[in-house]
Amino acid sequence: MRARIQIIGSQLLTLAALGLFGGLLSASLVRFAPGYGVDERELDPRLSQASVEAIRNSHRLTGGLLSYYRHFLASALQGDFGRSEWLERPVSSLIKERFPVTARSVVLGVTLAWATALGISLSGLFFRGFFLDISGTLASSVLIALPTAVIAVFSVYLRAPVFLAIAVVMFPKLFRYLRNLLAEAYAQPYILAARSRGIGRARILFQHVLPLASPALFALFGVSLSMAFGAAIPIEALCDSPGVGQLAWQAALNRDLPLIMNLTLLITLLTVAANLLANAAHERAL
Amino acid sequence: MLRGISAVILCVIFTAGLFAGAVAPYPYTKQFRERVNAAPSASHWLGTDSLGRDLFARLVYGTRVSLLLSPAAAFLSTLIAGVLGGFAGLVGGWCERLILAAADLSMALPLLFVLLALRALLPLNVSPLVSVIATFALLGLLGWPSSLRVVWATTKNLRNSDFLLLARATGCGRSRMIARHVLPNLRPVMFAQFWISIPLFVLTEATLSMLGLGVMEPLPSWGNLLRGLEDVSAVSTNPWRLAPLIVLMVVVVCFQLILPTPEETA
Amino acid sequence: MRSRLPRNLALLILLARALPVGAQTGGELHFCLHGEPKTFNPILVDDEPSENIRYLTGGVLIRLNRQSQALEPALATSWTISRDRRTITFHLRKEIHFSDGTPFSSEDVGYTMRMLMDPETHSSTGDAFRSGEGSVAVESPAPDLAVITFPAPIAGLERLFDQVAILSAHSPKKEMAVLGPFYVADYKAGSYILLQKNPNYWKHDAQGHALPYIDSVRLDIQRNRDIELLRFRRGELQLINRLDAEQFDRLQHENPAVTRNAGTGLDAEELWFNQSPAAPLPEYKKAWFGAKEFRKAISMAINRGDLCRIVYAGYAKPAYGPVSPSNHFWFNSSLEEPKYDAQAALRLLTQAGFRLENDTLKDRAGNRVEFTLVTNSGNAAREKMATMVQQDLSQVGVKVNVVTLDFPSLIERMTRTFDYEACILGLVNTDLDPNGQMTVWLSSGENHQWNPSQKAPATPWEAEVDKLMREQAAAPTDKGRKAKFDRVQQIVAEQQPFIYLINKDVLVAVSSNVVGAAPVVLNPPGFWNVETLRLGPAPDLGAQR
Repeated sequence: MRARIQIIGSQLLTLAALGLFGGLLSASLVRFAPGYGVDERELDPRLSQASVEAIRNSHRLTGGLLSYYRHFLASALQGDFGRSEWLERPVSSLIKERFPVTARSVVLGVTLAWATALGISLSGLFFRGFFLDISGTLASSVLIALPTAVIAVFSVYLRAPVFLAIAVVMFPKLFRYLRNLLAEAYAQPYILAARSRGIGRARILFQHVLPLASPALFALFGVSLSMAFGAAIPIEALCDSPGVGQLAWQAALNRDLPLIMNLTLLITLLTVAANLLANAAHERAL
Repeated sequence: MLRGISAVILCVIFTAGLFAGAVAPYPYTKQFRERVNAAPSASHWLGTDSLGRDLFARLVYGTRVSLLLSPAAAFLSTLIAGVLGGFAGLVGGWCERLILAAADLSMALPLLFVLLALRALLPLNVSPLVSVIATFALLGLLGWPSSLRVVWATTKNLRNSDFLLLARATGCGRSRMIARHVLPNLRPVMFAQFWISIPLFVLTEATLSMLGLGVMEPLPSWGNLLRGLEDVSAVSTNPWRLAPLIVLMVVVVCFQLILPTPEETA
Repeated sequence: MRSRLPRNLALLILLARALPVGAQTGGELHFCLHGEPKTFNPILVDDEPSENIRYLTGGVLIRLNRQSQALEPALATSWTISRDRRTITFHLRKEIHFSDGTPFSSEDVGYTMRMLMDPETHSSTGDAFRSGEGSVAVESPAPDLAVITFPAPIAGLERLFDQVAILSAHSPKKEMAVLGPFYVADYKAGSYILLQKNPNYWKHDAQGHALPYIDSVRLDIQRNRDIELLRFRRGELQLINRLDAEQFDRLQHENPAVTRNAGTGLDAEELWFNQSPAAPLPEYKKAWFGAKEFRKAISMAINRGDLCRIVYAGYAKPAYGPVSPSNHFWFNSSLEEPKYDAQAALRLLTQAGFRLENDTLKDRAGNRVEFTLVTNSGNAAREKMATMVQQDLSQVGVKVNVVTLDFPSLIERMTRTFDYEACILGLVNTDLDPNGQMTVWLSSGENHQWNPSQKAPATPWEAEVDKLMREQAAAPTDKGRKAKFDRVQQIVAEQQPFIYLINKDVLVAVSSNVVGAAPVVLNPPGFWNVETLRLGPAPDLGAQR
């Protein structure tokens, strides 16, 4: 029991440390990349010199980057996540508005992709149908060859919701891995023995094959969540969906330091958490 | 048989890209301003784009960029993944944890932003070719996390495997063990990762170029050419605009078909 | 029973006559903003989406009629400007209320001007009034009389009030209480803004009906122009305020009735060379860019006709100066229009000491003439123009390298590090009056792009331009001002610090069920007359496919 708490504790610590480091890294990236601190408004000929100076000063980081980061962390612990420079609104309200949109698309997309991939692979094993297997393989081969951006563009044209685009992006990768995994598990000696004993196929699949494959399935689930989040950024940017992905893209284009820092923190925490969970499930099931 | 066909198709496309100068009828920058947005004809096999440049020539030169640089990027990323993953798997301990953490972090970093920053950092008077090579190099440098875990898992399994234990028990030296036992067993995994990575980089470059972060004009690449698809309704009237997408998909599918299935490597 | 029927019938006929046949009042106008509005406070407006909302919700003292380009009384029934052009006196309309019922008086004008001229406020609207040192004094001698005194005379003073939306001094709703045709009823960040008809709007039409005719305006936030066009085609949107030339062309072929070309706009695209002494460029390049013959030759070698024809599908005109020909008053029509002539360009270059060797141009010292042209990524038209300029200049042996950068990096190079050689950008001209461009033409100005913020004019012609711009700001008559600015245009044509490329046409798409739309060249082109727009029956969508 104690050992378990220790393990969980150390994992949470790793999570926090990685998250913080990720935030600092992205903050330095934004700060030292060219184009930091400039504002499009400087080019407006209607503004007077004093106004342009004021705009320039508002973007300057007083004190170094580290002290800025320290200050940001201190206020974050109190619930104040800073203010977006480009949208001029508090970051927390921006993320609160947009996160549900992205979460919904990602969760629905991953669920749909998993359901389809699992469904086709299991049916392929159940019905031993050549046709199902081949059509699944064909579909996944073709879909995996489409760049994410093209899928996004087509989904805009067909008025498909964002989660469908995410599902289409995830499905081929999931399918081919799942298919091999399940086929391998199905070919295990003791499963063969069970089959020869006459135990029903459905029972074999659900009571023996799936549990056998479950550690790898959990690992894959964690990875698929982080992949889906990664794919959400270009998809949302191209589909103009008001989610976190589009916010991240626009923030990068506008060099919005507070926003990028917060978003990287969020994404790092989510990704690392997903991986940790996947590892834990993997080790537990082994 | 399917594999043979895929190999032949890939070879043909690869060669066409390599000898782009000979295959393409015109240079890829030449603007035929009188024949803008032309339909395919005898003089322009795939028609012309919005500036009057021959699309077939641009496709062939684009093949050169996408198909020659993606393997280079894949090689770089597989190499890094191999070194780091192998090290992590063999040594274990805090080294392993550090490397895995770095991999997680790398995946969370905004790749798009890093590319943005890189483009802006490049001095202005480098040729487009250098900037393209820099882009692909960066893709390679940042693409290792996904391959890393596979290499790491394999190395770990190897480390705990019977024959390696036996080798250690009989007093085999570290370096000899690595050279004679670990590396040869890692080779198929690395090769598989390399082969899988190539189409991934091709696709990533396509997505990046459609977002405006990839290969810079006027150098063509598949992604660049796919930008013409952004207005999907125009495609229905000019279906030849789909040509770059079809070539891209054919190449990626061929790569997948050539890859040995897990049943064969087991 | 029998006697009532004819009377009822007569009433019915009278009622039917009162409203125009076919189009009725009410309905919702649905179109898009191309970005998120940063503020609803009219004082702080700087970006286009916020400006559009200000136009729809703000009540102003003087309105510039976008169609006739003449000033009209709005909240002010009349105004007078003192002889020293420092004081303006407004006679305000009586019995006007804000959208929430708060009464309007000269106190509100005073409050608005004080907020605008607050030294802590930095907005383009307020900066236009800052003509000199000192503060602005506003007096409200009577509820319907406002007197504003400025520290120094301002050229074109009345016109500036078209941008000043009056805030309420007393309303608990602060800037959300408005005097314009609509008020902001609902706002979902990232998604849409819903504007409802202002029940207290002061304007009525000729028959005495309250304006606006439509009930509400829905503004979706849509950055992607392709999606916007798709939604317009499907009938979800009734208006596209500014269309790309390519989209317009395609729409034109499908459904010519919905496309309107308002004419050549005021916006220009220009190319310039970096002439800043602080630029980290080799001396020989600085020498090229500083030579007027080089700049003029480059200007002559660019085929503007092709740029208009190919990049803008013909919906643009070649530009040779800072003022668009559609700016009737300020355009210097006496200037000679240069022609595209690569041979003449070569001759001019040879005169300046360059020579052509095997299709490459070399300068006196033998350096190959080549430079990098930067522009911002994400603007397909500019990227295409840069590519076409690259080919044009290769005809005279000049090698051009095109690089696209994201906007912040580009601005950094232009304004901080000066690490660039040539640049193509567009100038958005919202104002007819050149006085709004002082920071561009004064050598000490921030926006004097080729060599900004100079301590003293670097060249004699820049010194002359400085003098002329100051004189036109102080000149008492419009004719006097025009004479000075004509001379500025002449100098620009001789020296080519900016090589102007094209003036785009203003292209609008209006659904056929919007009655009364008359797109114009000034902003906002599609809905400048939103109060008199009506929505008729929805068009037959089948026909639009």
